[in-house]
Amino acid sequence: MVIVLKSLSYNLVNKFPALLLLFVSLSGSSIIDFKIISINILYIVVYFWILRKPDSLGYGFIFLAGIITDVVHGFPIGSNPLSLLIVAGVASYIRVLTVRITLINDWLSFIPALLISNLTYFLTLIFSDYSISYLYLFQSSISTFLFYPVLWVIFSGIISLMRS
Amino acid sequence: MNTSRGDFGIAFRSALLQKGTQQRFSLIALVFLSILLIFLETIELKPLNYLRSFAKDVIYRGSLIISYPSKATKYIFSEINDHISLLDDYEAIKNENIKLKNEVSENSYLTLENNQLKKLLDDQIILSSNIVSARVMLDKKSPYLNSLIINHGGNKDIKNGMAVLDGKNFIGRIVDVNFFSSRVLLVTDLNSKIPVIIEPSGNHAILAGHGNNEPTLQYLPKNHTIKKGDKIFTSGKEGIFSPGTPIGEVLNINEKKVLLLSEINQITFVNIKIKKSIKNK
Repeated sequence: MVIVLKSLSYNLVNKFPALLLLFVSLSGSSIIDFKIISINILYIVVYFWILRKPDSLGYGFIFLAGIITDVVHGFPIGSNPLSLLIVAGVASYIRVLTVRITLINDWLSFIPALLISNLTYFLTLIFSDYSISYLYLFQSSISTFLFYPVLWVIFSGIISLMRS
Repeated sequence: MNTSRGDFGIAFRSALLQKGTQQRFSLIALVFLSILLIFLETIELKPLNYLRSFAKDVIYRGSLIISYPSKATKYIFSEINDHISLLDDYEAIKNENIKLKNEVSENSYLTLENNQLKKLLDDQIILSSNIVSARVMLDKKSPYLNSLIINHGGNKDIKNGMAVLDGKNFIGRIVDVNFFSSRVLLVTDLNSKIPVIIEPSGNHAILAGHGNNEPTLQYLPKNHTIKKGDKIFTSGKEGIFSPGTPIGEVLNINEKKVLLLSEINQITFVNIKIKKSIKNK
């Protein structure tokens, strides 16, 4: 019984990022929106886990979460998976290049990931003839970048939990 | 120089092209699949539409189930607030009732007069108008899109472009129809442009959403005579919506902001106008 429980809790903790990604996208809360702050949680989750523990988060899950977000929010299907996969791609590339893991390294390398993915997002929405507020997209990028360290600390705690 | 280019190539290949030990799909393959999906979204084919409708219906139901805990929490909080403000509400409703009673007789006379004038003008009158009521399944307003998901779709003869009402007030139009669900684009959305008429001046304009709760009037004539509090109705100019459905009133003349008659964030049920109009000859 103890072994089964331990195995269950191990699996649950190990699958945490994938479950979180699916939950956030299905519940439609991928963007946490306060007055002028809007944080894109999906970008942070994908970037952090692909950078730090890619075994816990498959690209298939990221793709699926993107599709669900598109459907729930009414965007052209394919726009969110593309931008999320680009975030994952940049994170994967940074992981190959870097040796030391520090918050500053992770945080600074998050800038190109955000820039490239938001540019792609912007282009796909233009291609699909959707009007969006560019100012909002810019605000969202800034807020997401500023909020990254908060989730970095929480997720690092979860990784320690996984290892223990 | 060659070495660094070589390093870049190795890192790039390793990051994008190779699958990790636990990865089932290659990143680059999924990127191409996403691009393909974006292109497919622009193609209207019957099998593709069926597939899209099915996938969307499944995801909406899943999202509905996931949203239950947060909905329940919101409901509990709103119930507590309702109980706290019960006495104040009672007083307000009592006063409003007295005021409305006084206006009823005047309104019925105006309705009668309006119908007679319409007949005289040989205007298009709606002989029968089917209203389908639907429940709001999801109201996930993203910062970019203000829309609702309702629980009726093609199964109730709902079609793209139909007007959606909250009670009798216009709140948006259908933009995406699935088998058992549809998406309503609200008037507050950035992509929403509705032809309207302002009473009593009779000026025509376009009501444009901006992503917030205050849409604005655009393309008003230069010498317009609108005032604060003027009523705004659908004009029916493009032939999409029937004319005379109330939307809101002018809130600010300088910025041409409009106050909607319905509280967009508080909608649980909507009416969809499936109109059958016949020209009066």
